[in-house]
Amino acid sequence: MKISYNLLKEFVDFELSPKDVASTLTSIGIEASVVSQGCGWTDVVTVKVLNVQKHPGADKLSLCGVSDGIKEYSIVCGAKNIASGQTVPLAKIGAVLPGNFEIKKSKIRGVDSQGMICSEKELGIKEESEGVFVLDEKTKIGLPLENVLEGMDSVLEIEITTNRGDCLSHLGIAREIGAKLRKVVSVPQVKVLKKLPVLNCVEIKSNLCKRYIGSVISGVKVGASPKWLADVLAKSGTRLINNIVDITNFVMIELGQPLHAFDITKLSSKKIIIREASDLEKITALDGKEYKLDSGMLVIADEQKPVAIAGVMGGEFSGVDGNTETIFLESAIFDAASIRKTSKKLNLSSDSSYRFERGLGWDIAELALWRAANLITEIAGGKQEALEDLHAIKYERTKIALRVERVSKILGYTVEENEIGEILRFLGIDLQPRGEVILCTIPSWRNDIKIEVDLIEEIARIKGYDGTPTSKTHADYAYTLNNSFLSAIIEEFRTRLNGLGFSEALNCSFLEIAELEKFGLKHYYKIANPISKENEVLRSSLLPGLFKNLTLNISQGAETVTLFEHGKIFAESGERKTFAAIMYGRVWHEWWKWTEQKISLKFDFYFGGGIIKNILPSEEFMIAENLTPSSYFHTGKTASILFRGKVIGRFGIVKPSLTSDIKDEVFYFEMDLEPVENICVKKTSFYKAYSKFPAVKRDVSVTADKSLQFAKIEEVIKNVAKSGGILKEYSLFSAYGDETKLGEGKIGYSFRLSYKNDEKTLSDKEVNDDVEVLLNKLDSDLGVKLRQ
Amino acid sequence: MKDIGRIINEALEKIKNADVAALENIKTEYLGKNGVLTQILKSLSSRSIEDKKRIGSEANNAKSVIEVEIESKKENLKKALLDEKMREEKLDCSKSLYFPFSKGSFHPIIQTIQDINVVFKSLGFAVAEGPEIETEWYNFEALNIPESHPARDTQDTFYLEGMKALLRTHTSPGQIHVMEKHKPPIRVIVPGKVYRNEASDATHFSTFHQVEGLVVDENVTFADLKAVVSDFIRKFFGSDIGMRFRPSHFQFTEPSAEVDMQCVFCKGKGCRLCKSSGWIEVLGCGMVHPNVLKSVRYDCEKYTGYAFGLGVERITMFKRGIDDIRLLYENDLRFLKQF
Repeated sequence: MKISYNLLKEFVDFELSPKDVASTLTSIGIEASVVSQGCGWTDVVTVKVLNVQKHPGADKLSLCGVSDGIKEYSIVCGAKNIASGQTVPLAKIGAVLPGNFEIKKSKIRGVDSQGMICSEKELGIKEESEGVFVLDEKTKIGLPLENVLEGMDSVLEIEITTNRGDCLSHLGIAREIGAKLRKVVSVPQVKVLKKLPVLNCVEIKSNLCKRYIGSVISGVKVGASPKWLADVLAKSGTRLINNIVDITNFVMIELGQPLHAFDITKLSSKKIIIREASDLEKITALDGKEYKLDSGMLVIADEQKPVAIAGVMGGEFSGVDGNTETIFLESAIFDAASIRKTSKKLNLSSDSSYRFERGLGWDIAELALWRAANLITEIAGGKQEALEDLHAIKYERTKIALRVERVSKILGYTVEENEIGEILRFLGIDLQPRGEVILCTIPSWRNDIKIEVDLIEEIARIKGYDGTPTSKTHADYAYTLNNSFLSAIIEEFRTRLNGLGFSEALNCSFLEIAELEKFGLKHYYKIANPISKENEVLRSSLLPGLFKNLTLNISQGAETVTLFEHGKIFAESGERKTFAAIMYGRVWHEWWKWTEQKISLKFDFYFGGGIIKNILPSEEFMIAENLTPSSYFHTGKTASILFRGKVIGRFGIVKPSLTSDIKDEVFYFEMDLEPVENICVKKTSFYKAYSKFPAVKRDVSVTADKSLQFAKIEEVIKNVAKSGGILKEYSLFSAYGDETKLGEGKIGYSFRLSYKNDEKTLSDKEVNDDVEVLLNKLDSDLGVKLRQ
Repeated sequence: MKDIGRIINEALEKIKNADVAALENIKTEYLGKNGVLTQILKSLSSRSIEDKKRIGSEANNAKSVIEVEIESKKENLKKALLDEKMREEKLDCSKSLYFPFSKGSFHPIIQTIQDINVVFKSLGFAVAEGPEIETEWYNFEALNIPESHPARDTQDTFYLEGMKALLRTHTSPGQIHVMEKHKPPIRVIVPGKVYRNEASDATHFSTFHQVEGLVVDENVTFADLKAVVSDFIRKFFGSDIGMRFRPSHFQFTEPSAEVDMQCVFCKGKGCRLCKSSGWIEVLGCGMVHPNVLKSVRYDCEKYTGYAFGLGVERITMFKRGIDDIRLLYENDLRFLKQF
C-alpha cells in the first residue's frame, strides 16, 4: 500500500524525514521504503547563510559560510542575490540534482566548495529563475528541502504481514508511529447527526455479515473530485471515478474501512438484503465482467438480484454515475475468511477484499461511515436522510490479563512496568492494573491480539528488537552426534564417489508420468493439483531424473558423465531414502602422456560394478546375482546388492533399447537406504598387525567350464584365504575365453596369489605345497584344472 | 720399505682427485693381493715379535683408513653423478595442469546444509529428519495455522490424489514430530526438502530446502533466540557482518522476527542483489506459539521455546552469486563441477 508522507503528518505530529519514517516502520515490523520523494533531488537541506565574502581569486564569485545547525560549510557561490542571514537550499556533497547531476567535492578557482547553494531552476522547481532560491526566513534549518516546501510530498510503500490489516490505512500507520514515538494520534473529527431517522430497509440473512451500517444521502451532485482529493488518490495509485466513489476510496486509504456507495434508485425494491448467493446466480461487477456466484458467497441484494459481491466488488448496474442523485452508502464488517474464499474462487480481488480478508475494526466501520457522509455532503452536496446500524453479533472488546513477570520470562530481559503501560496505552489498549496483573482491553481494530503472548510481542516490537539484550549462547548443552549408520553410509558413498570424480546431483521430486513409464516404472503418488505437467507424480526411482541429467550433459558435449544423488523416492511402501549413481562414457580423458598407448576404457558393467564394490561400507553388503527381473536393466548385465541376505539395491547396464540414441552403455546403481537405517553399529575396522616378512607371489592359470559361475571359484579361494593359512591375498588379473586353445565350453582365469607368514620368510617348497592344496581343492570341488 | 704414515698420505692424496675407475686402481694398488699394504703385512713373517705387533697394527689400520676413504669417495661421486643427471632433467611444470582424471564435486545445496549442520552442532544442536509426505495436522493445524488462514490455500500446497496427505510446504512439521517423540529439553535442527505449488522462475521452484530449528526448555527466552541466531550468522557468514532483527509475523511463533544481514556485496549501500535496501533476509524466527506447545501437550506455562527457519537455496544463491534457482536442479556438469 502507498502512504503519503504529508497525509500521515495530519494524523500524528513527528519530525522524521520520509526515510526515517520508513526505517522506523521497518524496525517495528512494517516493511516500508520511500518510493518517491516528490522531488527531483536527494540530499538537499535547508541552511542559514552566516557570512558572505569575496572570492579571493574571482570577482564574480563569493565565498559563503553556511550552517545546517550542526555543521558549518564553506561554499563558493556565483549568485548575486546571496546575502548573510538568508535561509537557502544547500546541495551537499553526494547530492543528486535533476538531470542526474551529482554534487562532488570541488575546487573553484583554487578554493574548496563543500556543496552548492541551489536556484529554483537547478532544483527543477521552475523553468527559469534568477539567483539562489531564498526561502522564508522562518524556515527551520537542517531539514530536507522537500519537507519544508509546500506541495512536496514523499510516497512510502508499505508491506504488512498478514495479521496486520489494521495498518492498511494512513490512520493505522500513524498509530504505529505514534506508539513508537509516544505521540497521540489525532483521529479526523466527524459530525454525527444524532437525530437521523432509522432507515429500516436492511435485513441480514447470513451470519457471515457481522455489522452493517447503511445510510441514504439524497440530492448529491456527482462530478469530478476537488484537486486535494484527486492529488491524494493519485499518490496512492487509486483511479479517479467521480467525487462520490473517490470519497469512499479516500476514506478507505485514510481510515482503512472499505465503503461501498450505489445508486439506490436503480434497485428493484427499497429492500436491501445481505444473504448468501444461490448456486445459479450471476452478477456483472463494476469491472464489466460477469461472475458466477454460489452458496457460501455473501452478496448484497435487492429483492430480485445481487447488487454487490459483499466486500469484493459492487455490481455494474447499481453503480453511481453522472445522473445519480440518491446514494446508499454502506460500511460493514463481513467474515474475513468468507471474503477471502469468495475472492479466490472468483479470481477477483480488490482493495476492498484485500482489507476485508485481513479483518477490520468494529468501531472504525462507524467512524468511516460518518467521515464519508460528512465529506459527501460537503463536496457533493445533498442531505443525509436516514441511517441504519445492524449488529448481527454482540461485539465486545477482547480482554486479556497480562502478567508483568511473564514479560521478562518470555523476552529474557526486564521491561519496567511503567514502560509496559506506556507502550500498550499508545497502541490504544486500555489498562487496568490489578496487582501483578494488568487487565488489557484491546481496541476493536487490533483483532490480531488474542492472548497474553501477543501483548508481549507488542511490547518487544515497539521497544525494538535490536537494542534489546542478547543472552550468552548456552554452551552447556551436550553435543548430540547424529551418528546413525545410515548417515555414515551416505557420507561414505558421497566422499568415495567424489574422490573418483563423480559429481553430486540434486533433482526435483516430481516427474511426468511418461518419464517413469519410459523405464517401465510405476507411480504411487499422484499430485491432485499440479500446476504443470512437470509436477504430475512423485518419483518412484532416482533413475528418470539422473537419466535426464545424463542426456542433458551428453547433448552439451560431455564425454564422461558420472553423477550420484541421494534423496527420497516415493515407492509403494512409502517414502524411502535412496542412493543412486549413473556412469557413462570414458573412464579417462585423453592425456598427452598417453598418446602412444591410447587408453579409451569406457564405463561398462564390470568397471561400474567394481566401483560399487569399492564404495560399499562393510562386508555385510554383498554382490549377488540379480534374480528378480528388472524393468530397466539389461537382463544379462545386472547384479543385486544384499544386506544381511536381503536385496536392497541393484546395478547394471541400462537396457540397450532405452539407450539406443546414446553412443555408449549407461551404468546405473540404485540402493534403498531404509533397511540400513537405525542400525547404529557402524563396523569399526580394527588394526591388524601385518607380517614383516616379504610376500611370495604365484601366478596360477586355471580352466573351468564356462557355465560355472566365477563366484564359485572365488569362494573356494576365499575360504582358503580366510582359514588362517599362508595365502593372504588373491586377485583375478586375466580372464581368457579362446575356446580353440582351451577346449570347447571352457574359460580360463589367471589369479595372482600372495603368500605370507607372520613369523618367517617362506620357503619355495612351503608355497608350492600350499598352491598344490588349493589346486586340488578346485579340481575336486569344481573340476577346475590347472591350465597346461 | 716406505713409512706407513707416508703411504697413507700418498693414498689419501690420490683418492682425493680420483674418479670411479681410478678408485678401483687405488684399491688394487694398496689393498689388493699384491697391494702395498698387503706386501708389508706379508713381509712381517721375518720380523721380530715387537715389529710384527707394531707394524702389523699400523698396516691394518692404514688399510681400513684407505678403505673407508675410498668408499666415502665412491659414495660422493655417485651423489655428484645423480645430481648432475638431475640438473639435466628439467620438466615443463605447466603441462601438469592436464590430467586424464577430473575431480568430483558436491552439490552446493547439500554443501550449504552440511555447513549449517556443522555450525548448529557446534552450538549444541542435534540433527533430525522428518517425512516429506505430511498430513494437514502436522503441516498446518499443529502449527497454529487454522483452516481459514491464507497459507492453507490449495494453490500453494501440493495435495496427493486419493489420500488425505500433502507434501510439506516447510520443515516446521519437524518441530511437531520431534516434540511428540521427546520431552524437553529439546535442541534440534531439521534440514530437508520442501515443496510449493508455484510456477517456477529465477527465484521460485517447486522443490527447495529449508533448515528448521527448535529449542524448548524451561526459561528459554527471546534473548536466547537472538544469541543463537546472531552466533549462527557470525559463524556462517563472518564475524564482521551487520545484522538486524525486525518484527514480523508467523502463525507458529509469537513474538516473531525476521533477521536481515547486511548485504555483503555492497556493504549495505544498496545494490541489485539486495534490491537497493542494503539488507538481505536470512531467516525467520520467534518464540514458539503457546498453541503449538499445546498441540503436543506440553505445559506452555512451564516450557517456552524458540524456532527458526532458513531457506537453503536463498543462502546458497546469495553466497555463491547464483542468479537462477533452476540452475541448481538442472545438474549440468558445467555448473556442478564449479563446486
